[in-house]
Amino acid sequence: MRDIALPMSENTARSLPLGECVTVSGMLFTGRSRFHIRAVEEDLYPPIDYAKINCFFHVGPVMKSTPDGWEVVSCEPTSSIRFERYGAEVVRKFGLRTLIGKTTMGAGTAAALRATGGVYLSKIGLSGNTLRGQIKKVHNVFFLDELGKTEATWIYEVEKFGPFFVAIDAQGRNYFAELAADAARKLPAIEKKLGISPDYNYTEVNAK
Amino acid sequence: MITRKTLEEAMYAAMRTASLEMPPDVRAALERALAEEPEEMARQHLEISLRNADLAHRGEGLVCADTGFPLYFVKAGSRTVIEGGYGTLWQAAAAATARATQDCYLRPTMVDPLRRSNPGNNLGPGMPKLELQFAGDCDGLEIIAVPKGGGSEIFGTFYRMLFPSDGVTGIKKFVLECIMNACYAGKICPPALIGVGIGGTADLCMSLAKKAALLRPVGRHNPDPMLADLEAELLAASRELGLGPMGSRGINAVLAVNIDTALTHTAALPVAFNAQCLVGRRWTALLAPDNTFTLTGEIA
Repeated sequence: MRDIALPMSENTARSLPLGECVTVSGMLFTGRSRFHIRAVEEDLYPPIDYAKINCFFHVGPVMKSTPDGWEVVSCEPTSSIRFERYGAEVVRKFGLRTLIGKTTMGAGTAAALRATGGVYLSKIGLSGNTLRGQIKKVHNVFFLDELGKTEATWIYEVEKFGPFFVAIDAQGRNYFAELAADAARKLPAIEKKLGISPDYNYTEVNAK
Repeated sequence: MITRKTLEEAMYAAMRTASLEMPPDVRAALERALAEEPEEMARQHLEISLRNADLAHRGEGLVCADTGFPLYFVKAGSRTVIEGGYGTLWQAAAAATARATQDCYLRPTMVDPLRRSNPGNNLGPGMPKLELQFAGDCDGLEIIAVPKGGGSEIFGTFYRMLFPSDGVTGIKKFVLECIMNACYAGKICPPALIGVGIGGTADLCMSLAKKAALLRPVGRHNPDPMLADLEAELLAASRELGLGPMGSRGINAVLAVNIDTALTHTAALPVAFNAQCLVGRRWTALLAPDNTFTLTGEIA
């Protein structure tokens, strides 16, 4: 399996085919809803060098404070599709080339990734405990007091972090959207078997 | 008499174990799915998830980092006696939840819905949520602790008021639509346990769906043969969509469709859908009147 150095280069991103499994090594930052909303609506974001720390990991980790510093208890990627309202703008604002999360993102973010030459990587299975062992160092945390441990931005150094698979490639193709279209094509035959006729409609009781 | 201290210990132990262990029936169902899936990616989703659960079992992390909503389902009997009365249940649940959060078995995930402020201990209006039910002539307590993950709750909850003329056809169409939407891109972390409530008021309908998804062991069917047939028919239909673990190409997007019903208004046919994710977290504490308790991953 290919291990990709972070920050990911545009050439590397453009060479990654849809569905390929990869790991990544280097620096990344974390965030969830609050990161997206604040960065776009309030222009408020952690003061990090986004050219160097360019991989955005969608996660709310379980973090434990110990005498030796912060310990990652578990870090399961969270559902990225929730952030779609702000996804494209965040990709453009920080020139992001790697997003890591769960599920997928929408057409807007896919277009922004195509423009920056970036990819969206989705998790494989529940992997929070394996990923935890691949975080070599917790470098920093931003907005901990304001946002709490789950929504704060953590800076992690990771090694062979993953595996993840390319769910949106740098050409804008979306693995899950293609799969959903396949499922939709199977639906009429399944409905027929269940005795649902093609012209069946729920009773309409509201004004049009 | 069951003391407040024992209640808190039992609730803490059940919630802690639920965060660290996959219930045996859920694990067995995931292993059967793994043996069946032809696609490499689908198998990887399951293999990695099972390995993740093994790590949690060894004390290296949690079954899933999103420990979600802290829920307690409590059954008491007519002869159960609790120190301080039944109100103690809620006090003990709050103390157990705060302690489990402090010890990192629960993530501080509960926030104010509008201010988005985080109390840091998962406590506040409505949380933890405890449901008390009276069941028969016993003198003990059954407490099932459920850390209910966000993915399955947020993306796997649907309700529709159908009408008698919409018939069973309407229910089938609705459930199939819900499965497709909920499983898209692995939003509810499939393979999912699907609960379907039919009848009642809107809140009862959803409660039936939730308990069918969360509390029924995999493979147990509704005792009413008509409903058991409908469960089997909808499960078979879900397997033909071409969707599998974590929404990838595969067969097992759904492990079980569990239906429960309640009487409803003669003008109405309410139907509710609630999903539980692949780890199916729940653990039971059984309290005896001599103030002792045992833990079990089995559902009575």
